[in-house]
Amino acid sequence: MTDLNQNTDFLYPFIEGTEHDPDSLLLDLASSARGKAEVSARLQQASLEEYEDRLRAAGAEMADRFPRGGRLYTFGNGGSSTDAATLASLFCRPVRGRAVPAWSLAADQAVVTALGNDVGFELIFSRQVIAHSRPVDMAIALSTSGNSDDLIRALTEARRRGLLTIGFAGHEGGAMSTSDDVDYCFTVHSQSIHRIQESHARLGYRLWSVVQEETQRRTTALLAAGRSDPGGNR
Amino acid sequence: MTMTQEPAALIGKDLSDDLAAASLALARKFHAGATLWVVSPQWEPHAHHVAVEFVHPVIMGKRALPSVALVDPDPVAQARVATRPGDVIIAVASAADPRVVDLMRRAPAWGAQTIWIGFGARPAAGSADHVLWVESDDPMVPATGRFVLMYHLLWELTHVCFEHPGLLTMADDGGRDCTDEVCVTCSDEGRLGEVVMAPESEVSPALVRTATGEEAVDVTLVGPVEPGDLLLVHAGAALTRLDDVTGAAS
Repeated sequence: MTDLNQNTDFLYPFIEGTEHDPDSLLLDLASSARGKAEVSARLQQASLEEYEDRLRAAGAEMADRFPRGGRLYTFGNGGSSTDAATLASLFCRPVRGRAVPAWSLAADQAVVTALGNDVGFELIFSRQVIAHSRPVDMAIALSTSGNSDDLIRALTEARRRGLLTIGFAGHEGGAMSTSDDVDYCFTVHSQSIHRIQESHARLGYRLWSVVQEETQRRTTALLAAGRSDPGGNR
Repeated sequence: MTMTQEPAALIGKDLSDDLAAASLALARKFHAGATLWVVSPQWEPHAHHVAVEFVHPVIMGKRALPSVALVDPDPVAQARVATRPGDVIIAVASAADPRVVDLMRRAPAWGAQTIWIGFGARPAAGSADHVLWVESDDPMVPATGRFVLMYHLLWELTHVCFEHPGLLTMADDGGRDCTDEVCVTCSDEGRLGEVVMAPESEVSPALVRTATGEEAVDVTLVGPVEPGDLLLVHAGAALTRLDDVTGAAS
């Protein structure tokens, strides 16, 4: 058996432990990185094109809600929970533009572990929606499968309470894409969790941009009305 | 709406080469038992995303690897305690973040390799073993998925390297540019050390941490030292101290 391996080593340079020159591997890795990045870029652009109208509509609704005291809750599991946190930061701590109240429901380890331990993991977000939310608020869930039970439950609870509900999904969209409890569902059509998350980030950024544009438009109109009607009905 | 033009390349040739080199280096370190520490003082969620990526792979059957996000208010103090020789520290941060600049220059004294992901102005040459940089000045870059793509690719390529066991056990001296005299990690003038305890008297040595562990070092040439000071150590003696701001020998 050992002899056989030695005799056929040259046929399988990448399988055996006798490979010593990293140059061809490094070339393959670099080429692979560029290829995957290109796939990601195309998927992001296709997703932006597919959902531009719906993103504009969702962003306009959000821009209506923030001035009335609306708050944004974002949530997801694993890597998507961190993407949800990045999205919340974009809304509440933007480098440019207006800041609006937003936070990630996975951010507080005391709350998440208390709920997970006491009432069950599938309720870690919906219980927070019950505690925090008013009808003017908004909920954004990110799930690459679209099926995460804890997210679906939170979206259902949010819808029941009058919140605007938005889902970012992947693969075939899962339960999120067919649920009546989701006002806007953006499904990224890919089988790769990584590529889906990258498009989620890009779509979330576009949604934020729309909210900023709509907010700016409303602010400009408000100020113009104020100028034409000094001492008006404020 | 019509957007028919080709999307701009997110990863160019140079960056893809940098990613390949960083991935192989990281795979070699993991193979030798490293833990990957992650800091992102400005964008904490990115630190958590990198850590969960390695600890809980999204692709079934891939190895779970040790990686931890360090998110204390003082990332230097946290990394100093956490890091063991042979570990890797990855930062997602701008080149101007003083906490990360400080962390990166101390890492060689702890025996840690470094990877720096960011955008905008690049860090000075030699600031980290591997620099993975988004060539854009747009301040919104951290929220657009560019960093997510970067560390996703780092994870994907690192796992490709595990399929090449023959390449995992080779020596790796890191990738810092050694083009001038301020590169202290490999020059003949000495090894980087960080003072752990000041000398108890004028004639006693200081306790100094270097990439190989803690050792007694004669500091009479450099004068009074305090914990945290960075020194160049050669043959049991400190030859010079590094400037606190620039990291250059003074």
